[in-house]
Amino acid sequence: MTTAGLHRPVPGSVPPPAAGTRRDRAAAGWRLARLYLVSRRVPTALALLAGLGALLWASLHWHWNIAGGAAARQFIPLTIQTGAAAVIAVTTYGPFGEPERAAGRWLPWLRLGAAVALTAVAFGALAAGAAAGGMPGGTLSLLRNLGGMAGIGLLAAAVLGGAFGWTGPMAYLLITEGALAHGSATPWVWPARPPHDRGGAICACLVLAAGLVVITVRGPRESGRESGPAS
Amino acid sequence: MTAATAAPVRHRTPRATSAIPLTAARLLRTELRRNAMPWILPLIAALFWFDSYRPSTRTAPLYVLRTFWNMGQGHTIIDIGPFVAGVAAWMGSRDGRRGLADLVTATARPRWAAQLATWAATAIWAVAAYLVFVGVMFAWYAHQGVGGTPPWWWVAVGATAVTAFSAAGFAVGAYWPSRFAAPVAAFAGFLAMAMSSQTGFSHISGWALILPTNSNGNFQADSGIFYPWLPDLPVARIMFLAGIAVAALGLTGLPARAGGPWLRRAAAVVTLAGVASAAIAVGLASTARLSAHGMVIPALHDAASDAPVTYTPACGRAAGVPVCLNPAYRRWLPDVNGALAPVLAEVAGLPGTPARATQVAAAYSSGEVGAGQVITLGGHPPVLRMSLGQLDMPGPCGFCDEPVATKQFADQIRLGFAQAFVGAGNGSGSPGQQAVQAALLRGAGIPFAAQPKLMATTKNGPGPPPGPATGPVYAAARRLATLPAAARHAWLAAHLAALRAGRLTLKELP
Repeated sequence: MTTAGLHRPVPGSVPPPAAGTRRDRAAAGWRLARLYLVSRRVPTALALLAGLGALLWASLHWHWNIAGGAAARQFIPLTIQTGAAAVIAVTTYGPFGEPERAAGRWLPWLRLGAAVALTAVAFGALAAGAAAGGMPGGTLSLLRNLGGMAGIGLLAAAVLGGAFGWTGPMAYLLITEGALAHGSATPWVWPARPPHDRGGAICACLVLAAGLVVITVRGPRESGRESGPAS
Repeated sequence: MTAATAAPVRHRTPRATSAIPLTAARLLRTELRRNAMPWILPLIAALFWFDSYRPSTRTAPLYVLRTFWNMGQGHTIIDIGPFVAGVAAWMGSRDGRRGLADLVTATARPRWAAQLATWAATAIWAVAAYLVFVGVMFAWYAHQGVGGTPPWWWVAVGATAVTAFSAAGFAVGAYWPSRFAAPVAAFAGFLAMAMSSQTGFSHISGWALILPTNSNGNFQADSGIFYPWLPDLPVARIMFLAGIAVAALGLTGLPARAGGPWLRRAAAVVTLAGVASAAIAVGLASTARLSAHGMVIPALHDAASDAPVTYTPACGRAAGVPVCLNPAYRRWLPDVNGALAPVLAEVAGLPGTPARATQVAAAYSSGEVGAGQVITLGGHPPVLRMSLGQLDMPGPCGFCDEPVATKQFADQIRLGFAQAFVGAGNGSGSPGQQAVQAALLRGAGIPFAAQPKLMATTKNGPGPPPGPATGPVYAAARRLATLPAAARHAWLAAHLAALRAGRLTLKELP
């Protein structure tokens, strides 16, 4: 073995990227993302979302309805959508706290990517469940409701901690229930609005955007850094 | 001196068992301080105000109506229970999530005892919060002058339901130490309540009466006003919910790490006892039958519960006739007097004219709405008996499109009076009775054209749309109404007996 094949770089020039560096960085990035997803229990979340899709399919197939009018008929699908939003919110909970914040340069992007990806997966799972037919409001309503409630869950995670992010969608579900029962018309209760209602869609998008921004920039409340229920 | 007396005095060492309550109290205090429930209480309080209290203010100020939504249909439980289940699951999964299960298993206390302390702290926070929220709501009702007595038995049901939610959620967390245990427990609890509502709405008897959101046969007028709230069904529900709570807690003591063999056997017995209690409660509920005062379960019924509530009536006068109401209805006394005055003045001096008018209790009926004749006339001397609990009183009306107007209420009272006076009973009466009734209503200020609609709105359930005020009945009524008052009075005095017997035909009217 000789050194005849080696080339010395010209003094002062930027060394060209080594052939293996990009691969290594990609591998490191993939490993980082995988570890992040595992630390957030995303595999369990995916299983739960698939289960919720199956539950939605069963509820539509066997006509599990609350007695009442058209508003009452969307109550169980809405509960399942809220459950999916709660699962997304709970995945934001991180067990590492300050060390992860200090060392994780990519943490905000990982939080954003995970939230967006899980929302998309949840929509896919529930849309597949809605294939049983009879989904009140159709796919458009599902997208609006799920997106808006995922935003509420992310905001709740920022306020109460990721472990208690589920309380936001649950509280919103109870408010929606009251609105459905008493015929409220505010667009902020978007599940009570028609599927093509622009006001409801705008409000849901605003809440989702706010949730994504807050969870990306600030992250969920952490028990070690701030006092909270998840201690 | 003997060897026995020379022996040194042996002081008994303090028994270890005497320290157990103190240690348990310390453990409980620590768990109370470290519990997650207080962090969620502000959110629950806001939801309680929004979903339980706020809708109730749209009903008439009577406890039976104010609490129909939040107690009868279980919304105080729906607002609190799922959150409690979620937080309890979080607390129950604590040791497992943090990988401390082996560590705490090796401590002096059995793991089950430590888990029960954690659950007890969660349940204490939850039940205390429930009682405080309901107490504040009832205090505010009392401040607003809401009539009747609060449904205390149903408050006990709610507190037991919250306990059951905490126990079930805790068991979920203990068996599945995951971050997802909390939302799964909460949403499973909420879905269970939703399905309970679905079943409860359609079942007016049988096992489904045990469901905590089933209001059928529970919250009708005049519970807590003329007669006490019957405790039969609440007691059965408390048995059911307590059984669920005990069974769930027993389940947490079954795994090998929970404690020694004796403790685990005790946990198995506790679990079975809980299941048995719940099963017995379901069996008791299926024997319930509807009485005039609510659901009666023969095995639980105490005859003392049937004793009417004593009260001093609130009285006034309408056209010189004394009118007395239950004090819970005192605020509507002027409305009732104003409604009765024109019709009483019309028939003054006629045979069978009421010497007084008094309110009587409304009887329970199958379903959620009252049925039967609202006003009856009978006795010697004749007494007008008004079952006002079957009517929507003037003011806010929770299940109406808009508040009930005083005139709307007065027209219903006048119609009920006219039907009772002509002897039409609960039906529409003979054509002759219908004609005289229409003339009396016309004299009391209700035009003929408005009468078909009035009669249609007082019938329970959907029916054919009201028709025009035409035909032979209204023709005869118009003839009678055009007579001078003195002549009409004299004719009525002469023909009232035949009219009430249903023998008077339209041709015999003047």
